[in-house]
Amino acid sequence: MRTGIFICHCGHNIKHTVDVKKLSEYFRNFPTVVVSEDYPFVCSEPGQAMIQDSIKKQGLNRVLIASCTPSLHTDLFKDLLKKSDLNPFLLRRVSIREHCSWVGNDIDYNTEKARRLILAGLYSASHSAPLEEKVVDVTQSALIIGGGVAGLSAALFLSRMGMQVYLVEKNNDLGGHVRKLKNLWPSGKDGEEIINEMVKTLQTRKNVAIFTSTRITGFEGFFGNYQVTLSTPEEEKKLTVGGVIIAIGFSPFNPGIKPELHYGKDERIITTLDFEDKGDTLTLPPQPKIAILHCVGSRDEQIGKLYCSRVCCINALRVTHALKTRYGDAYIESFYMDMRAHPRGGEEYYEDIQEKGVLFTRANVAEIIPTSKGIVIRGEDTLLGEVFEREFDLVVLSIGMSPPEDSKFIASLLKITLDKDQFFLEAHIKLRPYDTAIKGIFIAGSCSGPKDIEESINHGRASAVKLFGFLNLGYAFVDPFTAWVDPKRCSGCRMCEQACVAKAIQFDEVQRVVKVEEAACMGCGLCNATCPSSAIMLKGYVDSMIDDEISAFVETL
Amino acid sequence: MAEYKKNKNLEIVGFACSYCSFKASEMAGSLRMKYPEGVKIVEVPCSSRVDPAFIIKAIVEGADGVFVSGCHPGDCHFIKGNYYTRRKIAALKEMFNAFSMQGRLRLFWVSASEARRFVEKVSSMYNHIKEKNNEREKA
Repeated sequence: MRTGIFICHCGHNIKHTVDVKKLSEYFRNFPTVVVSEDYPFVCSEPGQAMIQDSIKKQGLNRVLIASCTPSLHTDLFKDLLKKSDLNPFLLRRVSIREHCSWVGNDIDYNTEKARRLILAGLYSASHSAPLEEKVVDVTQSALIIGGGVAGLSAALFLSRMGMQVYLVEKNNDLGGHVRKLKNLWPSGKDGEEIINEMVKTLQTRKNVAIFTSTRITGFEGFFGNYQVTLSTPEEEKKLTVGGVIIAIGFSPFNPGIKPELHYGKDERIITTLDFEDKGDTLTLPPQPKIAILHCVGSRDEQIGKLYCSRVCCINALRVTHALKTRYGDAYIESFYMDMRAHPRGGEEYYEDIQEKGVLFTRANVAEIIPTSKGIVIRGEDTLLGEVFEREFDLVVLSIGMSPPEDSKFIASLLKITLDKDQFFLEAHIKLRPYDTAIKGIFIAGSCSGPKDIEESINHGRASAVKLFGFLNLGYAFVDPFTAWVDPKRCSGCRMCEQACVAKAIQFDEVQRVVKVEEAACMGCGLCNATCPSSAIMLKGYVDSMIDDEISAFVETL
Repeated sequence: MAEYKKNKNLEIVGFACSYCSFKASEMAGSLRMKYPEGVKIVEVPCSSRVDPAFIIKAIVEGADGVFVSGCHPGDCHFIKGNYYTRRKIAALKEMFNAFSMQGRLRLFWVSASEARRFVEKVSSMYNHIKEKNNEREKA
């Protein structure tokens, strides 16, 4: 056994609470350890060169990298081993950043903990065996759930690249919320125009199948071959797709949840979305008094929505602008918490509207009271610290984005995770913002958090690019962590056969032992934990590996 | 590394499934959440991979506590692995009770996004065992 240990400083991230020098010196005394080095950034080019160099010069046959968590950079290091003609499964990652240096502050204890973690890695690496990655065929087609702007832009990209696209929409027309919007900022186009343009291009393409009024009722399989069941108005349809993009958008916040706003009780209280439909038919007295309320359903602790919906500031400004243009003599007052006109040109737009004579008041509105004369708004001016009560003829609530109604259903069907606000959770907020934790399933648009139209289109296209990169190869590597049976030990008790969820274990009547169907094995290791005679084992997680890890953790080996 | 004294910190060995709980522990780390340093985690593909023998081994070799953590019921990546875990651990807990070791073994469900829940569960377990140990010392 010739093991090389590389301990990363990760700049200061690991070094500041773990004595890396001491660790690398300590591990040099081990008979099986040939190289033990610490380095500022192991994942950097020179760091990689150092590992490659050591593998060649010292003839390493185990590489242990103690650095960040295994879900980061593992592919990079695996490739490195492949380049050095070493089986990538002889690599062992030990997480001493997320699980050690960032957890505690005590240097002595952290160093000790890191030592044990690396020791556990070292012992367990000694049991690792070279494995061959499984290659599976990938179906070159994609399922896009949701026909809003994000879904449409993803479909446009994938279909242009020649991928078969199935676009599923639960409503009877495509376009989602954007279709309802008029006079969008800053282009001045109607939402319908944008949607029609996209749909028209999509309909000319032969490799696009659009299913409207359709829901997903079944989902199973793994990357490259997902089996989807659709329930279309005509029939139940089964599809096989390589990957999925979820773009189910958002649901507008329902102000009815907050009874103090009296939404729905008086037709003079409308939302920004109602304004799109009713805007032309409003009956207002001459010189009308109009109030715009920001942050309805966002940044509100009472209803558990602490997040900012990001788009409603600009949306409220857009409505304000439309009202001011239509009723030049109107008195318009906008009650805001903080103005977040973040998109390009947003601040100028805000200033422009201020100059037009719209009054902006920083306030917390407590109550809206409809009376027979007008609608009274009661609240607190947070700059003056005074309570006010004012009467208006029309109140527009700038509503935020709530998670889509179907987010829980889709999450449980596709087995992906939701964040605390019930939006879909990305695999990594900075490094993998489009991926979910499951390979081949991507998220796009505002179902992963509030986004404006431009961002949704970008997000959809980016997810499509990522998915295309996966599907275009036509094959994929799958972790070879499957169960393996030692026929000499197997007593033929068939306990594993009963336990196996994937039905990958069959009993051989002639030899009286069980056999594993590798293609069906999911690699959960349930059979390994069930077997009374330790005859079946999960490659990559064999008993002796975990046993030694435990021993190293509590140190009595 | 002789200067380190064992009696100050408890040793807790955890088994976390790679799809949910291990991801949550990663997230807890990257959010710089603090939890007791004595907690060390073994990554397993699914909580059902955990053989009760591992838990007994850890306790016999000197761990103060063991936890097994998996995806929420119904969310298992391997369809129903965590249901098997639940049954296994329930049976094992009976055994622990017979030896008056209640609280030394815990099973909890943490999804990939619930870093805070992970920290809460681990810390509460740590504090519980610490309290029990202190009581015993006093007695």
